[in-house]
Order: sequence, then structure tokens, then C-alpha cells
Amino acid sequence: MFFQHLVNALSVGSVYALLAIGYNMVYGILEKLNFAHGDVYAVGCFVTYTLMLWQIHPVLAILAGMLVGFVLNLIVERFAYRPVRNAGRIVPTISAVGIAYIMRNFIQAIWGAETYPFSLGFELKSINIGGVVIGTLQLYILAIAIILMVLISMALKYTKWGQSIICISQSIPTAALMGIPVNKVIAMVYGIGAALGVIGGILFCSYYQFIFMGIGFSYGTMKAWMAAIWGGIGSLKGSIIGAMVLGLSEIFVSAYVSSAYKDVFVWLIFIVFILIRPKGMFPAEIAEKI
Amino acid sequence: MKIQKNYVNIIKVIFAVAVLLIPFYITNTYALKIICNVMLYSIIALSVNLIVGFCGQLDFGRAAFAGLGAYFSAVTFNRLGLPFIVCFLGGAIFAALIGCLLGILCRYTSFDYLTLITIGFSEICRKFFINWRPITNGAFGLSTKRPSFFGVTLASHQSMFYFSLILLILCYIVIRRITRSKVGRAFKAIRDDSIAASYAGIDVPNYKVLCFVIGSFFTGLAGAAMVHYTMFTAPTNYTLDESIIMLQMAILGGLGSLPGSIVGAAILIIAPEISRSFYNYRLLFMGIMMVVLMLFAPKGIMGDGGLKDQLVAFVKKNWSKRARKGEHAGV
Repeated sequence: MFFQHLVNALSVGSVYALLAIGYNMVYGILEKLNFAHGDVYAVGCFVTYTLMLWQIHPVLAILAGMLVGFVLNLIVERFAYRPVRNAGRIVPTISAVGIAYIMRNFIQAIWGAETYPFSLGFELKSINIGGVVIGTLQLYILAIAIILMVLISMALKYTKWGQSIICISQSIPTAALMGIPVNKVIAMVYGIGAALGVIGGILFCSYYQFIFMGIGFSYGTMKAWMAAIWGGIGSLKGSIIGAMVLGLSEIFVSAYVSSAYKDVFVWLIFIVFILIRPKGMFPAEIAEKI
Repeated sequence: MKIQKNYVNIIKVIFAVAVLLIPFYITNTYALKIICNVMLYSIIALSVNLIVGFCGQLDFGRAAFAGLGAYFSAVTFNRLGLPFIVCFLGGAIFAALIGCLLGILCRYTSFDYLTLITIGFSEICRKFFINWRPITNGAFGLSTKRPSFFGVTLASHQSMFYFSLILLILCYIVIRRITRSKVGRAFKAIRDDSIAASYAGIDVPNYKVLCFVIGSFFTGLAGAAMVHYTMFTAPTNYTLDESIIMLQMAILGGLGSLPGSIVGAAILIIAPEISRSFYNYRLLFMGIMMVVLMLFAPKGIMGDGGLKDQLVAFVKKNWSKRARKGEHAGV
């Protein structure tokens, strides 16, 4: 049983990891709480869901969903985040909460508040190794998460855009003085973050085989945020490991301690952890802003 | 100038009398219920304002503290049969104790972590409300009785109106005194710049704890009053969305403005009641309001430099223009 729990925990963790990568990219650069991340990509997931109902190939549908998430977050960034970027910390946070509500209600208005079954249409096989069942989908999810992480870290390191993103995360005024188009790059980061979120959201939905309007906030933003802080703000490697730790603690608490009080214990572990080590497990190597 | 001041005072007296006599000319119990709700939510909005507006700690877990006060008061009143006032104040003190615990946890944390910890804390409290069935009766909710003082039960809506009004006035005066004392100035200093505040000799961590204690006391008090007014409570009343609505009341009214909190609570309670048919789009309107407010008037309606101040400045500017024009024409 222990190994089965371990496998389940790692697969839940890899789903969270996909969500956390997109979140952490935006969060790590601007250090602004992005409450709307989950609800914005949920719109993209619903678009994918509708396109797949129209018998469009899943890959095309996912690409279209990513495009919708990308464009939507560009619009949101332009009208709700950019004007308040320099207005302290409370103002942008509340603005993002407002966007989250608008997006959730938008989904409710168009698709309704029901829970729909969701499947990518692939045949789901499972491998049995000595009594431990591993789904192929879980392996795919883990592989996709790791590939994305490697791709993004390489892009950050070796491309001009990546270097300008890192420069902006250190100091926006300096980046602007060096001739980096700050507004363009930040908008791009938000867009890419949402597009990655759509991939994560769709894999989340296909793992749990349902889709409903609340996937954005409680399963998306909160889990991604916890994983991002657990792993270290702005660190991509950290967000994957943080997500794994989150998955492990959720599955093992509900298996061995109490399933009714699962969230209580997970939050307690989390609060104690961030009180002891507030920078997370892998703090990004960026000088602290005062 | 003096005559103008007299006018203002007369208007204030008329307003006070009008408020005092509300139960005599509004006999519709539905309307009275809404007014009572506005007053009780105003207390919560005031406490949110104390924490977010004066101390600058963005707290997303206020609903949980209302829940703690409500459940403590209802359970002790139902089970132990203690006098109402003991249970009522007990609920508030219980919320303050838990607030102290939260404050101690958040003492040294910075902005994001504090927000996350308060969300986690409210989730933990909500799970306890749902799962601790022997005490809280789980998701079915808990019924309780109306408040009673020395054998007199406040059964009618009119008596509840005066109870809530007295409670609101007391809380308002106390919070106003706090914000104008040394403690309140320390809160404001922490909000504006905590590093500078610590160099000015303000014990930042302990003042943060104090802020959470005071704020949680009033939130718990309002929560306890609410549960005895509606005579029923359930865990669905204390979700994160509810916390955000409470936060929104303080923000809409204006962070750092106490009368603003009452205005904000009034708008956010009355508006959904008027537009019942738009109930499904309630969150959409709230979201749009949040974004628009943050973009154009982050100080809210009554805050420093908020909508009211902007309006007054606009009117004054235009009036003086017109007056000047008039002079010109006269010459």
C-alpha cells in the first residue's frame, strides 16, 4: 500500500507542478500575488473543452485554449495590472481578486455551474509493477512537467528575452534604463504564464476526469501558490519539488492520519514550514528588494 | 462660516434622530432585517479597516473569526446555559485569543506570507466547523436563541435594531479612540513604512499582534451578535468569498476611514438585496467594482483623497469658476 500511495502522491504532485510552473514564472518576476492566474486559465480550459466537444483534434483544441489564455492574460495585464503596478501591494492584489471574480462569473455565465466529465480521448492504460498500479497519463504528466521546466530554464538562460526577464525581476528601473521594453516583456510573461496554466489545467482535468468553474481558484491558484512558496519564489526547480511535497503531504495525510482533516494538516505543515524557512527550499538567487 | 457650522450640526442632529426612530417609520421586517445586517456587518468592516487600513496587514481570513465568535457564543449559550452577556463577550474574547495566536504566527512574516497564512487559518477553522460534528453540528448548521438581558429576551426586530445600533456605536467609539491613540499612530506608522517605524522605537512585531487581537475581538463580537440575531449559522457563512466581501466593504468605504466602513457595508449589503434577479451575477459586479475602484479610486469613497474628496474638490473648483465668471459679468 505504501508504494501505491507514493505513486499516487507523485502523480498528484506532478499535476500541481505543471500548475505551479506557470504561476511561479509570473510570481517570481513581479512578486505580486496573482490571484487571477487560476481563473484566467480556467477560461482557456473551458474553450478547449468546448472545441473537443465539436470533434476537433485534442492537440489543436489545447493549442487554441492556450492561445485564448495567452490573449486573455495580455488584456487583463494591460487594463488591470499595468496601471496599478507601482501602487503598493494591497491595490494590485485586490485588483487581481476582482479579475478572478470576473473570470469565474464569465465561465458561469457561458458554461454554467455544473460539473462536466472531461477526457482527452486517449486510451488510458496502466502499468502494473509488483502490485503497484501506475497510469500512463501520470507518467505523461510528469514528463511534460519536467520537459517544460527544462525548456523554460534554458530559455531564461540562453535567450535575450529570458535574460531581460531575469533583469526585470531584479530591478524594473534598471531594466528600463538598459533599453529593455519592460511593459512588453512583463505582458509576455503574463501571457506565457497563462498559456502554461492552460496546459496544467487541462492535464489536471484529464487526471481527475472532470471540469467545473471552480477549478481555477481552489485547485489552481491556491495549490500553485502553495507549491511556489514551498519550493522557493521564482525558482522553477523549486516549484516542481514544492508541488511534489504538496502532493506527498496531501496523499499521506489522508491515507495515514485523517481524510476529513486532510486540509487542516496540510495547511498546518505548510504554515510551520514557511515560518521556519520563509524563502522556500530553493530560494532564487536574486538580491532582496527593500 | 459660523452659520454654516450650525447648519451642519442641525443636519447631524436630524440624522441622529432619524436613525434612532427608524423602527417607528420602517415597520417592514424585511427592511429592518437588512438594516440590522448593515449595522452588524459595519462592525466587521470596522475591524477589517483596523487591520488592513490602519495596520496595513492584508488579511483574507476575517470570516473565520466571525465564525469563531459565532460558534463559541452559540455553543456555550445552548449547552451551558450561561447568561447571554457572558457567552456573547466570551465569543469575542475567544476570537481575540485565536487572533492573538494568528498574530504571533504572523509576527515576523512579510506581506505575501501573511496573506497566505490568514487564508490557511480560515480554511483550518472552516474545516473544524464542518468536521467537528459533536460540537458544531457539522454542515447542517447550528441553531441558537435570541439574546436576553436579565430575563428580557430581545424577540422583536425593533429591539434587535436598538441592540445592534448600541453595539455599533460602542464599537465605533472604541475603535475611533484606538485609532487616535498612541497605538493607532503606531499602526499607521507600520502601514506606511515598517522599517522606519522600527527605527522610531515602535515594537513592530508586538504591535502587529496587538492589531490582530483588537481586530479579532470586534470581528468575533459582530459574529456572535449575528448568530444570535439570525438564530442559525452554518459553515458556508465563513468561506474565503465571505472574507473577501468583508474586505471589500472596508475597501469600498475607504481604507483608513471609519465612517467609510459603514458606508461600504451599507452598499454591499443593500445592493444585492435590491438586485435579487441579478443574484447570479453578484460576483461579476463585485469583481468589476473591485478592479474599477482600484484603477480610479484606490482610496474608496470616504478615504483620504477618495471619491468624496475628489467630488468635493471638483464641485469647489467649478463653483469658484462660476462665481468668478459672475463677478466678471457683474463688472
